[in-house]
Amino acid sequence: MRRGSWVIVLAALLGLGPVDATGAAAKALSFVLDAADNRANEAQAIVAQLGQVGISAQVRIWKYAVLLDQMKAGQRAAYMTDWGSAYFDPFDLAEPKLTTGGRGNFSFYSNPAVDKDLRTASSTTNEAMRKAAYLDAQKAAYTDAPWVFGYVLQNIEAASSNLDGWVPAADNGETVYGLSHRGGDSIVVGMRTDSIGTLDPAIPPTRDTESVLRNIFDALVAHTPEGKVVPQLATSWRKVGPATYVFALRSGVKFHNGDPLTADDVVFTFERVITPGAIGGKSSPRKDLLGPLARVQKLDDSHIRFEFSAAFPEALVLQALVHFQVVPQKYLEQAGEAGFVAKPVGSGAFRYVRGTVDSQIVLERNDAYWAGPSKLKQVVFRMMPEPSTRIAALLAGEVHLIQEVAPDLVGRLQASPGIQVKTAEGTRSYEIELNNKMAPFNDPRVRQALNYAIDWTPILRDIYHGYAKRLATAFLPSGFGYDSQLRPYPYDPAKAKELLRAAGY
Amino acid sequence: MRLLGALRRVLLTVPIALGVAVLAFFSLHLLPGDPVQIMLGDTKTSVEQIRSMQHELHLDEPLHVQLLLFFGHLAHGDLGTSIVQQRPVAAIIAGAVPATVELTVATFVVALVIAVPLGLVSAIKPGSWIDRTMLTSSLLGVSMPAFWFGLLLILVFAVDVRVLPTSSQIDSTIALERVTGFMLLDSLLTRNGAALASVVRHLVLPAVTLGVVFAALLARTMRSSMLEALRMPYVTTARAKGVAEIAVIAKHALRNALIPAVTVAGLQIGELLGGNMIVETVFSWPGLGRVVVNAIFAKDYVVVQAAVMLYAITYVAANLLVDIAYTFLNPQLELG
Repeated sequence: MRRGSWVIVLAALLGLGPVDATGAAAKALSFVLDAADNRANEAQAIVAQLGQVGISAQVRIWKYAVLLDQMKAGQRAAYMTDWGSAYFDPFDLAEPKLTTGGRGNFSFYSNPAVDKDLRTASSTTNEAMRKAAYLDAQKAAYTDAPWVFGYVLQNIEAASSNLDGWVPAADNGETVYGLSHRGGDSIVVGMRTDSIGTLDPAIPPTRDTESVLRNIFDALVAHTPEGKVVPQLATSWRKVGPATYVFALRSGVKFHNGDPLTADDVVFTFERVITPGAIGGKSSPRKDLLGPLARVQKLDDSHIRFEFSAAFPEALVLQALVHFQVVPQKYLEQAGEAGFVAKPVGSGAFRYVRGTVDSQIVLERNDAYWAGPSKLKQVVFRMMPEPSTRIAALLAGEVHLIQEVAPDLVGRLQASPGIQVKTAEGTRSYEIELNNKMAPFNDPRVRQALNYAIDWTPILRDIYHGYAKRLATAFLPSGFGYDSQLRPYPYDPAKAKELLRAAGY
Repeated sequence: MRLLGALRRVLLTVPIALGVAVLAFFSLHLLPGDPVQIMLGDTKTSVEQIRSMQHELHLDEPLHVQLLLFFGHLAHGDLGTSIVQQRPVAAIIAGAVPATVELTVATFVVALVIAVPLGLVSAIKPGSWIDRTMLTSSLLGVSMPAFWFGLLLILVFAVDVRVLPTSSQIDSTIALERVTGFMLLDSLLTRNGAALASVVRHLVLPAVTLGVVFAALLARTMRSSMLEALRMPYVTTARAKGVAEIAVIAKHALRNALIPAVTVAGLQIGELLGGNMIVETVFSWPGLGRVVVNAIFAKDYVVVQAAVMLYAITYVAANLLVDIAYTFLNPQLELG
């Protein structure tokens, strides 16, 4: 190679700028596409596609925490991000991501009409109005195209064929109460995390923590695998005002230590979360999941009133309550915070026996469970952060259910005898956010052009093996108020070039 | 003399440990990212809530105040509370250390069993087929990625042949009473035979994964230092005096050849005691490596500071033990 070509190669490697083979660099659109290492392949494919419409982009790979800092400071142009929803409602996805100044609004998108819609949707108890507001916001976001809208991945899980009644949940929750095992009365679940962090329902840091907790503790209401809310410790509820709800408590429920579960325990559970410093001097990081909850009061032995400081929709109240398991006041106060976490007592279908949050948690059946005992006698949650190890352990028969199977390994598992693979639509949006405040992406035509210029079909087919679904905007199909009429931007390179030309590129 | 030297070295660990804790504190603060934001991820949280959490954790204080707070806690024997896990750091570290120590001991045993005989034989018979095989395979051992080798072992011995478990420390059906936290020790102390057998079986694959790399290094060091020792004039003298070859090797050559090997072993053990995040992840092993790497990614300063202090103490201790071993191997050496 001649010396000159070495310089070009070096410049390209260092990302010193676009190396345009034709030399026509004058008006070409060029930018750096930032991504964390788990999406490097995808980023490379996107850049190659953009090259075909004359956009010269380079990929830069980051540690996510570092990238996050830089993009929040407004220093980056285009970045691949994702955001999950725990509500089956845009309340914790579209709202933080698209509202002006929202906590997750890394694109600095601002449209007063969208802000108003999203505010309406979280502050009116009129379901029709909420829906109309969400539909309106979707249309506006689609046209404004603050991001290159992406896709939602499927949760792929696998289990032994001997496991009956198993349905993977959209929110990755592993509630094993309804399962039965033809090979015995115990199962081991291979969890994708290396630590669930804590066993205190007031501070679960992740969905994986909640997965384990939901088997030990019950909440007032619970999710079905599809995200529908069903009664659990509450038997019914009614709205008595735009900001006030009353829940009727199931009677005769006992904690694993034999203490009855009372309205006082419910009040205590929520006070622990909303009162600053109530957990050994620290505040619960989950307070805001409960929206504007101001007070929880016991009306009588079987009724509890939830008072919000502003109108809060019933659907959001219920989705929030799913995430708060009821703890025993008497036991917790006796054992102290540390004692409680070391040996948690709940009222769920399984009681804690032994284990640690970073290795395995062993649970045994609660024979006195209010809904009747589970068919499983023992359940073990084993932390197995390495995906290949989870699959090996499933093949070896050591575990019976595993979380998060990589799309490229599904074929291998399906071909193995005695294994079943199932999927559920996920609750996380993956996208490319564009810095709406910075040229060239402060021009909506350029942002739209990018949406037209990327052909997601081969990317989702080859990288995610088809276990993904395109999104038209930042709203998920599993969420309330989703506009199924709105089609994702089609792949249209001619249209992309036209828009770029109009924008002066 | 020996005791005094050792004592001085032990006391020296205190400033070293504090020094690295301060270094870790500042270097972590140089990195971008806020632990509260990282911890909360995309959980629904208001800006006010984030501010109040940062305030509770003193993250809004100037750096020197945060550092003083850390030393204040330390003076009271308190390592602080993890930002992310909201658990005492001492409990987190103490929970992970036994798993790492047991794995280190098992790894060391595997390494010794492989490396010492191989290193000796190939030095005694240089150029033989054993020697050539040892040299080639140790090159392979040193260059093999542990991640790949561990998975390969799992596939062969746990999935195909099914003689050993894939991962974790003990069978989930076995209840082992916690006495010291060290599972091997606890199963012996509580006379739990089933637990002991299970713990040993679970140790094999991760110990072999790490042990092969260790053995490769050790065997090569053993071979070269033994070759050198065997060419020394005192060995020739011993032979000329008519000492039996076996005694020449065992008594005269080996003892001197062990010094470089002990150095390599000491450094390796120091490193192993820090925990190997990759092997721990592959084998679902709840050790120190995983704790520390996760704490770094989450910017959980408090955990990282405590861990690096422990690392510093471990290294100093490992080096001290190596030096003490020197004085036994060669009484002319003294602890400095």
